[in-house]
Amino acid sequence: MPNKAVRDVVERYDDYIEQGDAPEGVWVGPWNNLIKSLDSLNGLYNWGRKSSIWPLGFGLACCAIEMICTGFARFDIARFGAELFRASPRQADVMIVSGTVTKKMVPQIVRLYNQMPEPRYVIAMGACATGGGPFKEGYNVVSGIDKYLPVDVYVPGCPPTPSALLQGLMTLQAKIEGQKLSEVPWYRAGVSEGFPVPVLGPDIFDPRQIPVIDARLSEQEEPTTKAGKPPKAKPAELPAPEVELTKLAAEFLRGTVGADAFRDEGNALIVEPLRLVDVCHSLRNGFGFDYLSNVTSVDYPDRFEVVYHIYSIAKGGAHIYLKVHVDRDDPVIPSLISVYRSADFQEREVYDMMGIRFAGHPNLKRILLWEGFEGFPLRKDWKEAYYEQEQKPFDSRWPEGYHVAAEDRNIWGKNVRYPQGWDPKTWKAPTDGTLVLQPEELSALSDIDTDKIILNIGPQHPSTHGVFHMRVLLDGETVVDLEPVMGYLHRNHEQIGERNAWLMNMPFTDRLDYLTGMGNNFGYAITVEKLMGSKVPERAEYIRVIMAELTRIASHLWAAGFLISDLGAFFTPANYIGEEREMILDLFEMTAGSRMMVNYFRFGGVAYDISDTFIAAATHLVKERLPRAMEELDRYVTANEIVQARTKGIGVLPRDEAINYGAAGPVLRASGVQYDVRKAEPYSIYDRFDFEVPVLYGGDIFDRYWVRMLEAEQSRRIVEQALRDLPGGPILEGAPRWSTRVPAGEAYGRVENPKGELGFYVVSDGGSNPYRYHVRSPSFVNLTTLAEMSKGHKVADVIGILGSLDIVLGEVDR
Amino acid sequence: MRDLFKFGFNIRTGLWITIYHWAYTYWQDFQRLTGKPWQPSGLLSSGKIGGDTLGYMTIQYPEVKIITPERFRFMPMLIYEEEDGDIRCTSCGICAKVCPPQCIWIVQSKDSSGKTIPQCSEFYIDTSICMQCGFCAEYCPFDAIKMNHDYELSSFERHESWVYNMQDLLVSTTYYAQTHPNDWNREESARATKAAEKAAVH
Repeated sequence: MPNKAVRDVVERYDDYIEQGDAPEGVWVGPWNNLIKSLDSLNGLYNWGRKSSIWPLGFGLACCAIEMICTGFARFDIARFGAELFRASPRQADVMIVSGTVTKKMVPQIVRLYNQMPEPRYVIAMGACATGGGPFKEGYNVVSGIDKYLPVDVYVPGCPPTPSALLQGLMTLQAKIEGQKLSEVPWYRAGVSEGFPVPVLGPDIFDPRQIPVIDARLSEQEEPTTKAGKPPKAKPAELPAPEVELTKLAAEFLRGTVGADAFRDEGNALIVEPLRLVDVCHSLRNGFGFDYLSNVTSVDYPDRFEVVYHIYSIAKGGAHIYLKVHVDRDDPVIPSLISVYRSADFQEREVYDMMGIRFAGHPNLKRILLWEGFEGFPLRKDWKEAYYEQEQKPFDSRWPEGYHVAAEDRNIWGKNVRYPQGWDPKTWKAPTDGTLVLQPEELSALSDIDTDKIILNIGPQHPSTHGVFHMRVLLDGETVVDLEPVMGYLHRNHEQIGERNAWLMNMPFTDRLDYLTGMGNNFGYAITVEKLMGSKVPERAEYIRVIMAELTRIASHLWAAGFLISDLGAFFTPANYIGEEREMILDLFEMTAGSRMMVNYFRFGGVAYDISDTFIAAATHLVKERLPRAMEELDRYVTANEIVQARTKGIGVLPRDEAINYGAAGPVLRASGVQYDVRKAEPYSIYDRFDFEVPVLYGGDIFDRYWVRMLEAEQSRRIVEQALRDLPGGPILEGAPRWSTRVPAGEAYGRVENPKGELGFYVVSDGGSNPYRYHVRSPSFVNLTTLAEMSKGHKVADVIGILGSLDIVLGEVDR
Repeated sequence: MRDLFKFGFNIRTGLWITIYHWAYTYWQDFQRLTGKPWQPSGLLSSGKIGGDTLGYMTIQYPEVKIITPERFRFMPMLIYEEEDGDIRCTSCGICAKVCPPQCIWIVQSKDSSGKTIPQCSEFYIDTSICMQCGFCAEYCPFDAIKMNHDYELSSFERHESWVYNMQDLLVSTTYYAQTHPNDWNREESARATKAAEKAAVH
């Protein structure tokens, strides 16, 4: 302290505080502390630093949603001086790593960190950013960002609630308070070196470690597998509507393409690979099955099987289920892209995950992983770096469960394994898929006299709704071509899902589309119940519908708020709808125990009963509060001249294209197709409620926004009716069971999720784990339309078009 | 012509609504001066939601904390009896088997002859893997593992402190009765009924 007089006063006042005997007229309190904190320049410096920590505005996964909620009015991070989420790393002080860090994303995060000026801090938010979290065993997930960057504060939770994040921020403030100007490194001489950016080879590696990798590669242990006993399979019953439809389709096909092209097998048609295109052509043009919903593949010991689920928009009802057997040694089959464009990304995904090549596909390259990744992860003989055992539960956990971290079992100390015989010294990155302009692209552009550039939007851009990346070819400001690049949040849901027991997948589905946990639970539950033949009690059915529809309202409001945010009305509309969403989340928290990761559905019912408080509060919400909020949103947004000018006639998706591209949900219905799974193939008890399926015919951004608002209103009506008719009784079929066996068979179940048709394809061999677990995600397939819609528009409109698709990256990349 | 006249007015409507929202919070401050105590808005604190969509809803964390509902789940905790210090866990292993990310490690106790006894000698939860699904608490037949409400756990370090051992996980029945009053009452009455039945048989 500089001044002796001041020091004396402070000391005397300290005594007053300690003894509680301040004389009349002497006020002791915060001023005293302030004077003390000015002790030296350090106090002032640290006070300034800690009270204005500006976070970098980027989010990775589910935790990012809670981070955004922390910015909303209810938790209000502005009270801590941290409300300015900066879009540029140059202006940011703290990087909140909010969510699962994948290998594909690490290089971008390290680059962003290197661009931040000192002093810079890192908060690892949530279990995934800290240590890998529930996705730790996944092949594309790194075990914590602290393997690559120095982390200051770890915030536990999956996800941490907004209050927990604020507490983490306060912990960081406490750390900053301890800084001393004389010691902080960023005022010392010399320039701080950037952290080395990891490289994506056959697996991720640090370029500095090439000699080490080279030397120790031979020591790397290959996983030892133990073949399990084949379970006693009890076949599941085939659903009657599917069998009936398959018979009709077989009869029709015999007349058109001939009986030699396929074989009829219960509820499936096994198609000869070479006749596949003919069969699909005929089904689409002659039989009215124009909507290819799902494409995936299964790895059986003797063959690969590519499966297709095709629906009819006009007829509704069940699907036609096609299977194609593919040779394991040389897996090639014809691409269906000429018949159904929705096969585009899904075929690429099959190629990426299982290595089946599609002849005739124009752009067959890796979609979720990167070019050069070693192996095809969903093949049964491919093992991840942290491989422990074929199926959960792992034997090492009980009864001799001494804790061993997965890192300690791996010689590299992290989630990597390099192929034997790989030579890191001579390895060169494949040029494709990297984030820079390629020489051949540059030369192709030189003969055009206008200025053409390739613009990379994302993957950390705030308006891409997560870690999504678009490569846009621009002519001036007009979009000539666009290529979506994804996989930055590929968390290996399907592979983890095949290790998991049936019930264990339930909480994982929450993390698919993390805005609609209840809807994802619903889809998975009804799919497995299809195989089990469960009968869900009446009360549970009503509760399920209430929860799913409340989720839809929350999701649609969120989509509307952030679409407007994308158009430039930054945060105010999103903030207002955030308040309403908080109310719905409170209901979920009260019933299921968590705001987002609800884990509420069980096979044959739901986990907990709803209370009278819930019913009263939910009734009040849907009758009083939500109508007002939705009406207000309508009043200040819908007719707004700027919104109209920015959305009307932009990004038009014509009706036929919408169907052919496999668009689902509001995107499909805004293009004039009245198709809703709840009406077309009613599941649960949706046939009992009085509701409309709103449809609009413009197909532009505005219609996609408006159809969501209309749908939210219909959902509100459904909740109102369900709360009115809610019967009493049990909420679960039978007693709660922690271990489930599912009869052998294959099932594809789908629900109308807020984003569109969410499908689950499961194959059971009768055991306690799924043999194959695939998620048909609406966000992923909807993205197929993005390039077509964006062409010819300005680059600012692309952001709006993407916002109107309402994608969630947890679901796009899975 | 009428449309032309209206052009631009909708922007004004929108701005008016945002100004109204903004001004209303000050009106609430003003109301507070009259002695009406301020409550954090939201469903759980007041038991019902206000009918209007306006106003001030900030929870002044850390001074005011959001009231967590009883079912709220954060990290798991192990329960011991307050009276005699007995740990309820019998190391049956159901929690470790049902755990989706397999973050629970249990070592069964053995007596001097090497026979297993229904106690656990070690119990680890790796909180950097835990996904807080609550399956362990839901399926525990002995009410021995429950979900804690404490979310203020951030730390500067993770490798040591994030692997919780038994000492980190243990909480008393009193603590549990405080955080989960309804569950506690239900479980205790069920236990009393069972004990009474058992006494009647003997």
